Amino acid sequence: MLTQAVLAGVEAGLNRVLRLDASVPARLAPLAGRVIAVDCPAPAVQLFVLPEVDGLRLAAHWEAPADCRLRAPATSLLRLAVSRDKTSILHGPEVELEGDSGLLLELAGILQDLELDWEYELARWLGPLPAALLGGHLRLRARWALDGLDSLRQSLADYLSEESRSLVGRQEAEARFAELDDLKLALDRLEARVERLSSTPASDDPA
Amino acid sequence: MNEPREGSNAEPTTHFGYQRVPESQKARKVAEVFHSVAAKYDLMNDLMSGGIHRLWKRFTIELSGVRPGNRVLDIAGGTGDLTRQFSRLVGPSGEVVLADINASMLKVGRDKLLDSGVAGNVSFVQADAEKLPFPDNHFDCVTIAFGLRNVTHKEDALRSMLRVLKPGGRLLVLEFSKPTSSLLSKAYDAYSFTLLPLMGKLVTNDADSYRYLAESIRMHPDQETLKAMMVDAGFERVTYHNMTGGIVALHRGIKP
Repeated sequence: MLTQAVLAGVEAGLNRVLRLDASVPARLAPLAGRVIAVDCPAPAVQLFVLPEVDGLRLAAHWEAPADCRLRAPATSLLRLAVSRDKTSILHGPEVELEGDSGLLLELAGILQDLELDWEYELARWLGPLPAALLGGHLRLRARWALDGLDSLRQSLADYLSEESRSLVGRQEAEARFAELDDLKLALDRLEARVERLSSTPASDDPA
Repeated sequence: MNEPREGSNAEPTTHFGYQRVPESQKARKVAEVFHSVAAKYDLMNDLMSGGIHRLWKRFTIELSGVRPGNRVLDIAGGTGDLTRQFSRLVGPSGEVVLADINASMLKVGRDKLLDSGVAGNVSFVQADAEKLPFPDNHFDCVTIAFGLRNVTHKEDALRSMLRVLKPGGRLLVLEFSKPTSSLLSKAYDAYSFTLLPLMGKLVTNDADSYRYLAESIRMHPDQETLKAMMVDAGFERVTYHNMTGGIVALHRGIKP
């Protein structure tokens, strides 16, 4: 029952957010009735996601067969939930997809393209004018914060790789990884050759 | 469940809560209870269960296996909580029938569903669970939530549900049952026989109906007995899930 309670809470919150984008019902409608199963091996959790016209239904059990099954570790699922570029994570090596992957990609696309009308929700509580003023202010602050964060990330990367030399730069690291890969391939070939030579029966000396 | 009177041709009796009443009177007495509580049924459900009844129903939906295009019968559907969910699941190509023997409950349920935009694939039928007015092998899923304990002849009702199910279709019986822990059972008894009638008195000005609720729950078959009744009626692969420590159990059976 605890799982049901948690899922009911998450579902209600999620659907409240989805309602802020007026385009969502029309995009979810073609997916209604389909079942997506999400398996997480560690920790062992199974979740079913069912798109419906007015939102998503989350369930811990579902008796009808799943149209699509996603198997991925918790870290990948978390990245999938928060990342904007969901398709690149779905194509990652640790993620397994079975069944109609188009269904999951379509749903991921809908979630990725969400354009939430926060101002509409604010206006319901505060009125249109305060909501517009507050919305504009918040957008400005958010943009400033994102720019600041990007700038900080870039400066930190430059400092660590170029000035303090604590870390190697991305390109330098990739070159080293490529060399290591080549070396590993060469080693594998050498190992195979030695094995072949050692397994060849010794021929009689013709002399 | 019903005992004939010994040594006479008098009508057999059955229980109505802790009282014994002639069988023909039980349906009328149950109807009176639900006529009385219909208007505030949802409010009382939330108050009495602390909202947990929504989670019990949620689990029922999860185990229903209902898919788009299915035909579902929600017996004793009351104010339509399960019907609303099923209506979304079966989609425009499916059908949900909300059946209730009580006209007041059916009216409240119909108004509530229509007001919330649930229409098109839902129909409303006043029907007795013992004599369901539907063809054989008609439904993919039949549910009865918190209704079976009010039925006079439960065995007849189970057989009737079996008849209207398609082969492979499933029956889900969500009903109050027997707590698995004696400590919980004592606390539950204290709650049921003191707080429940008091809440009924305060909210609906009707303590008797909620005393009947508590008594009818105690008279309802426990988990294993109901499972045996379903097997006797002809269901296969009958299983049950206890919820909230066995206060409620969800029984599921498949029509062979």
